[in-house]
Amino acid sequence: MSWQVEIEPLGELVEVEEGQSILDAALRGGIYLPHACGHGLCGTCKVQVLEGEVEHGDASPFALMDMERDEGKCLACTAVPLSDLIIEADIEEDPDAESHPVRDFTATVEKIDAPCERIKVFTLRLEGEQIAFQAGQYVNLQVPGVEGPRAFSMANPPSRADIVELHICKVRGGPATTWLHEELQEGMKLSFSGPYGRFFIRKSAPGPILLLAGGSGISAIKSMLLDLLETGAERDITLIHGARDRAELYTRALFEDLAARHASFRYLPVLSDEPPDSGWTGPRGFVHEAAKELYGGRFSDNKAYVCGPPPMVEACVTALMRGRLFERDIFVEQFLTKSPQEERKRSPLFRKI
Amino acid sequence: MARMTLKERYHHMTRLGWQPTYQPMEKVYPQATYEGIKVRNWDDWEDPFRMTMEAYWKYQGEKERKLYAIMDSFAQNNGHLNLSDARYVNALKLFLQGVTPLEYQAHRGFARQARQFPGEGASVACHMQSLDELRHTQTQIHTLSHYNKYFDGFHDFTRWHDRVWYLSVPKSFFDDASTAGPFEFIVSVGFSFEFVLTNLLFVPFMSGAAYNGDMSTVTFGFSAQSDESRHMTLGLQAVKFMLEQHEDNVPIVQQWIDKWLWRGYRVLSLVAAMQDYMLPESPMSWKEAWEIYFEENGGALFQDLERYGIRMPDYAPICAAEKDHLSHQVWGILYNHTAAAAFHTWVPDERKMDWLSAKYPDTFDKYYRPRLEYWRELEQKGERYYSQTLPLICQTCQIPMGFTEVANGDPMQVAYRSTEYNGDRYHFCSDPCQAIFEREPEKFVHAWLPPQQIFQGNCGGASLEDVLKWYNIQPGDNLDYAGSPDEQRWLEWKGLAAAREAAE
Repeated sequence: MSWQVEIEPLGELVEVEEGQSILDAALRGGIYLPHACGHGLCGTCKVQVLEGEVEHGDASPFALMDMERDEGKCLACTAVPLSDLIIEADIEEDPDAESHPVRDFTATVEKIDAPCERIKVFTLRLEGEQIAFQAGQYVNLQVPGVEGPRAFSMANPPSRADIVELHICKVRGGPATTWLHEELQEGMKLSFSGPYGRFFIRKSAPGPILLLAGGSGISAIKSMLLDLLETGAERDITLIHGARDRAELYTRALFEDLAARHASFRYLPVLSDEPPDSGWTGPRGFVHEAAKELYGGRFSDNKAYVCGPPPMVEACVTALMRGRLFERDIFVEQFLTKSPQEERKRSPLFRKI
Repeated sequence: MARMTLKERYHHMTRLGWQPTYQPMEKVYPQATYEGIKVRNWDDWEDPFRMTMEAYWKYQGEKERKLYAIMDSFAQNNGHLNLSDARYVNALKLFLQGVTPLEYQAHRGFARQARQFPGEGASVACHMQSLDELRHTQTQIHTLSHYNKYFDGFHDFTRWHDRVWYLSVPKSFFDDASTAGPFEFIVSVGFSFEFVLTNLLFVPFMSGAAYNGDMSTVTFGFSAQSDESRHMTLGLQAVKFMLEQHEDNVPIVQQWIDKWLWRGYRVLSLVAAMQDYMLPESPMSWKEAWEIYFEENGGALFQDLERYGIRMPDYAPICAAEKDHLSHQVWGILYNHTAAAAFHTWVPDERKMDWLSAKYPDTFDKYYRPRLEYWRELEQKGERYYSQTLPLICQTCQIPMGFTEVANGDPMQVAYRSTEYNGDRYHFCSDPCQAIFEREPEKFVHAWLPPQQIFQGNCGGASLEDVLKWYNIQPGDNLDYAGSPDEQRWLEWKGLAAAREAAE
């Protein structure tokens, strides 16, 4: 049994499993709710229940008082839903967030490209209803024989709502990506749900845009870039794409062509593992190093969008912050694999990055 | 009309400032710039929590009702009789004497910063914390007043805080913070103490209370902890704000973090001794608490702060080395000087020593158990040792020189550092305390050092008796727990006095 919880003022929906706390479900669903102690003592995660019933769990009577319970407040870290809920949390509504309801889709695999050894590009054609989404969002794909969905960002712009384009990197020992790489054939059907995620361009915020992509993280970034250019954005856009070698820069021709046609867009590929004698004359190293070089270590006044594996995101965020760009101007999406990984403990210093 | 979000509602209820026209801003806020912190725009301040005064009174009022109901029932049911042991009460004495007056100092300090910060958001947050701290002072005094009816060592804690030697340790911490500018104050108290170190203070006292049957103190702890989240987020927000406003602020904030984490750490060494020795039943050792709350949580914080260019203080290895020694060394100091203290000390019993040995396998049996056993032998011969001289204390932290060179590989050698300044020699317990002095010698030469003050004739006289009189420490407040009026009464209440006499 699971319940749907709608979180106001965002209007986002999260699925809460039996016995799961609202906070846990929200965080796992990519929605940050303010919290601190995590076990009902401090009251930081207090939210208002607008509709539905909750069980308060171990909420301390001092952190959540009787009169607050009567007023319909609960602590998200200890409360579990007893019905579908609408809650209001102390979070900010984003003027650039479009509200696209999550739906279930079935699609046929129209095309599989294998531009390099690690990454395949899958084009799925939707049957029936098209998918409305914001550039940068992702879908949850059901992989046959694998428990639980896997998240993949859409690389197509929202204007191509009839397809879903996914760039999938094969994770060593990962059952889902292994199946997708080895078993999935053109013509087969896949189901997924979406769109999800809060990674999208803040179009109302002024200033130049810096897009940083690592490996197959180029998918969400490509969607964002195409959407920006299609919708006539006039501000300066810089894309730095880090890949291991030239084979993994399979989107290079597309971006070079766009850069040639749009004066406001510049493109910089950087390679970390290209053989020294290959004739590559572009920058070598990691994305954050290329960014520091290009910007002279100074990023103030930009809006940065970072997508890639966690170490790449961490290195980029650190470089951006050392270059005086802070949380309100940095937006990240990181690819977490399902394999158990050593995730480092975080402090409450940052909310999203 | 559309429903306002919490943020909008809060904004309308708190942004009540205005631009002065009769006086320039720098005269209205005279302390805002002299520390060198550059603020480009106070509107970048993000409210760490959103509570209006209206909601504040309502919530705090209900918290009080709950707390006082539990305190009353504790009193009516003679809750003190259900404690694990009367030795436990000494932890409460230390709390009332050492911590409660700090809450009051925090109340005054935050009220002052609320006046001094030009930003409305910072000002409102400081106002609210100021009220919280006053509430904490009052509820602590009320909670512990019950014990004043039955135990010694509670009756004159405010005077003690101002005068008694070991309480000059926490007092000097706050005197130092209160005489700093508004930005340094908020790093010292709001960030270093409330955010980084607060769990190291509260967990030992509050879960210590829970383990030893003191539900009244546990309840007060819950009540205070529900305010703590606001205080922690204020400290965090203040530091982020400074670091983001201007890069020139980064080295200044780093220097303050270095100073105040060490100052706080030294104050907490009193808590370490309390936690490992005064609690008959111990939830966790000082070392374990340090590892969880500083090394793990603080480590994660500093990894995040690295993004701003802030690094872990370079003395962190000293703390790591000292965690196996700190509580034992400080208990030794307190044990030696209990003749002039308003609480009791004792040699732990075998069960407690075994617990200490299990918690400190590398150090307790090797360095500290033999010393405790020796003291026990002296006691059994009727020669309980009390130091007959005044100790040399550290100019910065004001703790008697008892810390050793553990970080330099010699735990048996007391650490001495000294610096000459304007023809006088100043003494320190450690490299960080020396470095703190050397950065602000003009400030620290004014420190009120209890032994020096006694020798200068400012503390009632030259004899222990004279000084105790000036302290208003009465016979029975001090000396060993064994033979104290506290012990005598406890044995009588528990019906153990006759049994003990028969056994003897």
